[in-house]
Amino acid sequence: MKYELVSGLETHVELSTNTKIFCSCTTAFGGEPNTHCCPVCIGLPGTLPKLNREVVKYAIRAGLATNCEISRISKMDRKNYCYPDLPKAYQISQYDMPLCKNGYIELSNGRKIRINRIHIEEDAGKLIHQRGDTYVDYNRGGVPLIEIVTEPDIRSIDEAKEYVEKLQLIMRYIGVSDCKMQEGSMRCDVNISVRPKGSSEFGTRTEIKNMNSITFMTKAMEYEFERQVDLIESGGEVVQETLRYDDVTNTTSSMRGKEDANDYRYFRDPDLVTISVTDSEVEELEKTIPELPGEKFERYVEELGIPENDAALLVKYRKVAEFFEKASQGTANPRTAANFIIGQIFRTIENESAKEEFNISVSAEDLRELILMLDSKKIRMNLAKATLDKMLGTGKKVSELISEKDMGGLDEAAARKLCQEAVEKNPNAVADYKNGKEKAIKAMVGYVMKNSRGKADAVAAENIIKELIK
Amino acid sequence: MVSHEDVIQIARLAKLSVSEEELDGLTKEMQSIIDFADAINNAPVDGEEFDNINNLSNAFREDTVVPSYPTEKILENASDSAEDCFLVKKRSL
Repeated sequence: MKYELVSGLETHVELSTNTKIFCSCTTAFGGEPNTHCCPVCIGLPGTLPKLNREVVKYAIRAGLATNCEISRISKMDRKNYCYPDLPKAYQISQYDMPLCKNGYIELSNGRKIRINRIHIEEDAGKLIHQRGDTYVDYNRGGVPLIEIVTEPDIRSIDEAKEYVEKLQLIMRYIGVSDCKMQEGSMRCDVNISVRPKGSSEFGTRTEIKNMNSITFMTKAMEYEFERQVDLIESGGEVVQETLRYDDVTNTTSSMRGKEDANDYRYFRDPDLVTISVTDSEVEELEKTIPELPGEKFERYVEELGIPENDAALLVKYRKVAEFFEKASQGTANPRTAANFIIGQIFRTIENESAKEEFNISVSAEDLRELILMLDSKKIRMNLAKATLDKMLGTGKKVSELISEKDMGGLDEAAARKLCQEAVEKNPNAVADYKNGKEKAIKAMVGYVMKNSRGKADAVAAENIIKELIK
Repeated sequence: MVSHEDVIQIARLAKLSVSEEELDGLTKEMQSIIDFADAINNAPVDGEEFDNINNLSNAFREDTVVPSYPTEKILENASDSAEDCFLVKKRSL
């Protein structure tokens, strides 16, 4: 029998506000243990949490960017559980009145992954287990989170991956989080069940907690899908449980079963007052949402004529997209800038996070200047490429690398002279060409380009040579 | 009706130990608390007017960092600490 995967994701995203959600301690990552703490975020009795205004704004922006409805009234609730990472023995979260609901993210295959809700809550502290004891650092405790919960709409591991990547990109574009999975500022819990293909009922689901990389998430999902299918095929039943994924052995194992199932005894936090949001506040926040990656992608493809693969690479990093837009502004064809970025600049950048940062020694304005010289035929493509390489290597400006005498190409007479030379010095190529080997002409064009220091027009040179050896 | 099992379950969630002798008394007390809450639940209220009876909303704080406490202060009331961390010994987890 063929089985189908059914999955829903709960994604925690740490908001990049300056301060924690209920106190004025910094949210800076790292720091010596328990140096970003105060009586509120270590949960001392008698302290009063006070909600950070920006957290509400950030969460509403996240909701708007994922097509959510924004609740005009919402509130904070206590989620009770007893574990050392939570000093109050409850987490302040939102239960039945989340800030945002009923949104979606659309995938490239046209399917919409519905978002049930986005709510705000506090992060827990960090536990360090050593020699059987547990060391607790509350620096992260109280850092604001949004939890984005989807419906069980995901039908394949590829869809899960694309959903997480899209979500990550959207959050980065609107600037609410850096979404660095390796630093824990974005983490996913994955709910998985399987069912015979074509069935409309859901199977029993398991939940894999705290995936902190997309690679591990896809591996864990592959493993868990196979495990559930094997279990059903061999006559067993999937047990509802919470699992942890071990990336060393690539297996999942049980953290807790159903008997311990979430009995969080939610109730309203009496320390925190109602959150009310007005229509005009939502409208104001809507104005702060920039063009999102999906919209950008479509515009690049449809209006700028960038091939889909290239457009996807450009919008994948917010700073690259900004750079591209500046560099291509007013140039004859935006594809030129796209080609320089993807073909040449990307080659000098080592990894994903460096592309994210996009700290390069060439400014968008400089690349634009180079492209404008190309457009006005002051320089040829091979000189432009060589110049860009030098700019990337040395950080020098276009004007420092290209002098007046490099510009203006070759005049007709000089070009003819060089072409004549090329024909005379390459008798073998001429013979090959005459024998039907069309590519042989490239050797002669190459000669012209080299000896004109890239100033010649390759197409024109080819035509002249063809004429000469006809 | 509240049963002994309910009390045991709630005690377990709260990480409290309850002895056999305490069960009857606690069950009775819990029942009376729930009856009290039920009386409130049965009051004829509907609509949003009771959602926010003190009529307060949006008590916000500005997003400005204030220096945190020194680590010694933070750990001052910890029953056990080491290496600038709160220390939870294995058996108490």
